[in-house]
Amino acid sequence: MEQSLPIMVSVPRPTLGARLTSSETQGAAQELARLGAGLGLAGLYGLALGARSGGMALVQHALCASAGLAAVGLLGLPALFVLLALVNAPVSPSAMLSAGARSLASAGFVLAGLAPSAALLAVTIESPDAAAFVTRAGLTLAGGIGLFQLTSAVRAMLQALPAESRWKCQALLVGFSLFAIMLAARVWYSLPILQGAA
Amino acid sequence: MNAQVLSVFDELLRSPRAIAERSRAGGDLRPLFVASLAALVLGAGVFGATLATSRGGVQLLYSGVKLPLAMLATMLLVVPAFHAISAGLGRPLSFSGMIGLTLAAAGRGALVLVALSPLTWLCFDRGLSYHPGVLLAVACYALAGLSALDLVLRGVGCDVRGVLIVGLFAAVLLATGGQTAWMLRPFLGRPSAVSVPFFRARESSFWDAVQQSSMSMLGVYPVTRALSAADGRKVSAPPSEQRENADESR
Repeated sequence: MEQSLPIMVSVPRPTLGARLTSSETQGAAQELARLGAGLGLAGLYGLALGARSGGMALVQHALCASAGLAAVGLLGLPALFVLLALVNAPVSPSAMLSAGARSLASAGFVLAGLAPSAALLAVTIESPDAAAFVTRAGLTLAGGIGLFQLTSAVRAMLQALPAESRWKCQALLVGFSLFAIMLAARVWYSLPILQGAA
Repeated sequence: MNAQVLSVFDELLRSPRAIAERSRAGGDLRPLFVASLAALVLGAGVFGATLATSRGGVQLLYSGVKLPLAMLATMLLVVPAFHAISAGLGRPLSFSGMIGLTLAAAGRGALVLVALSPLTWLCFDRGLSYHPGVLLAVACYALAGLSALDLVLRGVGCDVRGVLIVGLFAAVLLATGGQTAWMLRPFLGRPSAVSVPFFRARESSFWDAVQQSSMSMLGVYPVTRALSAADGRKVSAPPSEQRENADESR
């Protein structure tokens, strides 16, 4: 009797970026891990900015960079879920957690990617204004990508809705986006480098 | 291996699409890495030395070493950003593929710089002065950069999202590359300078220089506060011919 040998197929392991930004919904624990990874990665950008002053500024900047994203996650996402539920949008807490984790992880991953460039610029640029501009540009880029991920994920959940309800949800999303931008900016503006620290 | 490397040189110039697809697919990227790195070091080295012909002497060696160094350092710093932006906007590539794509793009840009070197040398030989020389160098970098970004665009996909990814990457590249090059200047060297330093002391930034040059174009010439307070000079007064950028060298 012929016995077939098991065939070993090597499946390429997805990159960290692909795992963090994947649109697949996972269990709550995995989603929270993804969220935590995103916040940790955002801290790398803060560390890079803190290298301008060194010492305690490293920790201060790292915490503050992560706190901006954490604030949006903690204060913004539950509120968005409640408001979407009020207009009968077909969103579940797990889908919302997944969308939020994905968007915050994306923003954190982008901030981590920008960290090497940010470190060079923060350390070598003399003018505090120019350093602040570069910092703002990095935060805007990462925040923008995170917000893009979140709104894309939520919009995908609204496909089956009638037009009127969809418009209401779109308006809520615009309102949420403005709130998220203001909230993140409020937290990030406490970064010493944005307050003119040399 | 050598034949493979030479064929990659040819491909870098003629078939950016094939290079981009190879980077995306992964697999054995060693010939691509070696050929791109060689193109980058040789190409940027030749162009750096060509820029220094306006000054001559040891500046030829310094610029020939520093320009490849600036490009390599920039590549190392921006690849993580490119990887993250691409993944964040829904186009995740493997990290090695990303390095291959970025290195190939830099190699292609450096080969364009080689092609522009004879013209640049001729311009300096025919007496092109310092400031137009800087502008000529900027134009050469822009051309090389465009051909490099063309390859990157083919790698991430030629659609709206691909253009957005490449645009954002180009912004990071410009800021990082500009500052790296600023730290490693001078590349041209002033003909009037007595000595040729390998590095200049840390001063200002690429960003400040761009701002200052933009203001100068509008006819606003900032004078340091201490200087203006000492002799009551007008801040908007243009500098004299000798004074303009006397302490600066790019």
